[in-house]
Amino acid sequence: MPLLTKARSLLRNLFFTRRVDADLDQEVHSHLEMLIEENIRAGMTPADAQRIARIELGGTAQVQEQVREKRLGSWFHSVWADCRYGLRHLRKNPGTTAVMVFTLALGIGASTAIFSVVYGVLLRPLPYADANRIMAVFEVTSHGQPSRLADPNFDDFRDQNRSFQTIAKYNNYVTSVSGAAQPTRTMVAHVSPGFLKVFGIQPMLGRDFSEADGKKGAGRYALVSYGYWRQDLGAPTDLSQPHLRIDGAVYSIIGVLPASFRFPAEVNLWLPADLDGEGHSRTSHNFSAVGRLRDGVSAAQANQDISAIARRIHDTSSEQGDYLLQDAIVLPLQESLTGNARLPLLVLLGAVGFLLLVACANVANLLLAQASVRARELAIRSALGAGRGRLIRQFLTEAFLLSLVAGGFGVLGAFWGVAGLVALAPGDLPRLDNISINIPVLLFALLLSTAVATGLGAFTAARATSGDLRQGLAEGGRGQADSQGSRRVGRVIVAAQIAITLMLVVGAGLLGRSLMKVLAVNPGYRVDKIVAMDVALPWLDDPKSNASRAIFFANLIGRLKQIPGVRTVGATSVLPMAEGGLPNGMFLLTSHDELPTSVDALVAMMIQQKDRMGIADFCAATDGYFQALGIPLMRGRFFDENDTPNSPHVAVISESLARERWPNQDPIGHTIEFGNMDSDLRLLTIVGIVGDTHEYALDVAPRPTVYVNLLQRPRPAVTVTMLSDADTRSVTAAARGILRELDPELPPSFQTFSEVYSASLRPRRFNVILIGFFGIVALLLATAGVFGVMAYAVNRRTHEIGVRLALGASSGNILRMVLGEGMRTILIGVAIGIAGALLLTRTVQSLLFGVTSTDPLTFGGVTLLLVGAALVACLVPARRAMKVDPMTALRYE
Amino acid sequence: MSPEQTSLLQGTLDLLILKSLRAGEMHGLGVSRRIEQLTGGTFVVKPGSLFPALHRMEEEGWITAFWGESENNRRAKYYRLSKAGEKQLEAETERWSRISLAIGQALEAS
Repeated sequence: MPLLTKARSLLRNLFFTRRVDADLDQEVHSHLEMLIEENIRAGMTPADAQRIARIELGGTAQVQEQVREKRLGSWFHSVWADCRYGLRHLRKNPGTTAVMVFTLALGIGASTAIFSVVYGVLLRPLPYADANRIMAVFEVTSHGQPSRLADPNFDDFRDQNRSFQTIAKYNNYVTSVSGAAQPTRTMVAHVSPGFLKVFGIQPMLGRDFSEADGKKGAGRYALVSYGYWRQDLGAPTDLSQPHLRIDGAVYSIIGVLPASFRFPAEVNLWLPADLDGEGHSRTSHNFSAVGRLRDGVSAAQANQDISAIARRIHDTSSEQGDYLLQDAIVLPLQESLTGNARLPLLVLLGAVGFLLLVACANVANLLLAQASVRARELAIRSALGAGRGRLIRQFLTEAFLLSLVAGGFGVLGAFWGVAGLVALAPGDLPRLDNISINIPVLLFALLLSTAVATGLGAFTAARATSGDLRQGLAEGGRGQADSQGSRRVGRVIVAAQIAITLMLVVGAGLLGRSLMKVLAVNPGYRVDKIVAMDVALPWLDDPKSNASRAIFFANLIGRLKQIPGVRTVGATSVLPMAEGGLPNGMFLLTSHDELPTSVDALVAMMIQQKDRMGIADFCAATDGYFQALGIPLMRGRFFDENDTPNSPHVAVISESLARERWPNQDPIGHTIEFGNMDSDLRLLTIVGIVGDTHEYALDVAPRPTVYVNLLQRPRPAVTVTMLSDADTRSVTAAARGILRELDPELPPSFQTFSEVYSASLRPRRFNVILIGFFGIVALLLATAGVFGVMAYAVNRRTHEIGVRLALGASSGNILRMVLGEGMRTILIGVAIGIAGALLLTRTVQSLLFGVTSTDPLTFGGVTLLLVGAALVACLVPARRAMKVDPMTALRYE
Repeated sequence: MSPEQTSLLQGTLDLLILKSLRAGEMHGLGVSRRIEQLTGGTFVVKPGSLFPALHRMEEEGWITAFWGESENNRRAKYYRLSKAGEKQLEAETERWSRISLAIGQALEAS
């Protein structure tokens, strides 16, 4: 029963507020009337009767407010009232409100957008069952770098470990696949059986590889991706029909993997790894490895376990040397996929956090200015019975309204921002397709808005309700002491803002200067006007296939030269800056008298005779490649038409290799053995020296390189480079036609070299553009902040300035006074900022190139820029102060 | 509802209001004067305490309110004890006697 009464009261209080209030008003008034009547009956004059009655009642408004506060549901009411009141207040100052909402929306939106990238790439779990149990396993090289695994080493890890339920190796490459609707260049992975078990994945159709399927000489079976099954195979439910021709062998399809599974990224076909037998060398690193931890085994335990096996291999192997593993390491797969992206992303997140702080500082200053104007209003409300708590809640409510509206706009902006970010992001950013505004990101935005609201609300409430509120009424809303206090707080905020902005802009400056230094690096080759065509012939182990490949490539290059507008055509095993890069290995300085009989014998010779060993990248190219890319010949000759597959094999080496391996000698005419790279043990005679090229990145020194003649030692997969004055599209179309005539089963892919080249700069550009943008916005906000605080200070001091002028101060004195005050604040901010930047820029050291993290030019330039901008922001109010008319100013009060 | 939580003074005010209304329906001023009379002028209840208490007790369901005519033909809001209110009065009275007895004993002990 009582519960029912209560519920009825609550509903009545909430929904019939007006009636309940009118009722209360009437009741209190009739009470007052009765008191008056009572007093008159007691013999008072009407005037006295009324006065005494009012004193006894204690104010109709206060009584009503006391009843209201005790009512059920009063909490809802007062929050609702606060909201309405807050909205009215925000609407009353539409300009300021718009600026505050925009500023906060910018900060929250930018933070949300960056967080969505951080979340998608770094935080979001991989889409596999118990994904945190999946580990990546690496060998550790003698230089301490993680590397891929050699077959015998992987076998030892697999057979001897006690930490993994399943461990599997894999590698992947692009090759030509025919047998489906049309031949395609497709990413194919070679995996050992158990690969899918590591991920806890079952084929959605058909079956997984069995142990027997992975044995040497087993039947050839393939698993296909969902996308490939749908688009290229036409989604057949009967998998026995389609057969795929891959690298000269025919595969039957045994299973289709679920759409969600794509590992390694972009792979469409998974084939057993060891159908043609395993490698025997412990120093040829051909496979990556993943494993699923046994229950109860930690990553650290697995690491110890694998590391112990690795060190045993290191100690006992006969293949000692730089290429033998030194150790091994186990990392969570997610970490290993995103490791390189981590630092740049965290730096971005930090930068955007700084931007948000600067934005909040601006809003805090605006709120502070408003609060001092509102001192009178607060005093009135306090006099009418609003407690301090109620007033604080009012400020919090307003801050929440502001932040949530701004957060809403920010999230809308972030949707658009994320699309931009994804478009701008470097293609090699892992898990790029994972980036979106999703529930966790929205939660983050909400949390961020709440944090901002709490911070701003608590700050303004603490500032506005400190001291005796009612004094505001007495002073006519012009509390001099209070406003001086808030001016000081305003200056502290501005100094902090300047400090944070300086750190951010210094960071942007350092990264920007690094980018400029990188762009100034001469790559050693021409980038423009080159069309690159990737072609992959079947990957066959048969040595005889080399002869036919050479003929095919010579033929292809000859035909491509006929395309109108094409000046030079060449081919290379790997294009500079392309994914993957050149293989790197040891070679031996030797002669015809001392030829190894096998690759193993060669490796043994190199290990025994270190003084005759060299290390270089290995590239197969044609003479046209050097001409197309404009790689200069320093001495000797390029390859020419006399270098045929059966004539003595020749090599061209890069300048840095000549300098490094043949100091004070002429390498031309020397002979080397590099057959461990392509299993061709014919001796190479050095015939020329060419300029150094940046093959991997502009910010990495050129690596010593040996070029062999692609027409003598053809690779199955090459990139054809065509230097052409003609339009890219017509060259592409003509080249496609020519290739189809030569072999209809060979699908090409085309890119311009400048696309490949600029893609290599995208990670750096991405960071510079974003952090630069944040820096510029922060600079604008900080400038606006300085201007706001100074203009407000001048405005509040108009009277004082008038007095000073009336007492004979020159306008120059006034200018100096205002500027001096402003600059003191700014310089304190700058000093703190420089100190902070010196500490913080160390963390981005590894992202810099050609500048130190304390680069004086950047620090000096940014300081000048910031002080200049702040000075301009001070100058405008200072000039206004200078022009104050003493008479008007004195009357101003 | 939960008398143990209410402060002694508030409990006292509730008890006095309930006790006043036991005599019959009354408006706010009447309740106030009745309390004065009942306590021999010891308790003077200000409207600032009376009205919040009356409204709270109405929400609790101990008293019901209605508009009526005062002695001088003025519209006034009257309060009447409900069934729940009578029970509450009994409980409060019982509690109060216990407390006053205990306090009395405590003070008499030397």
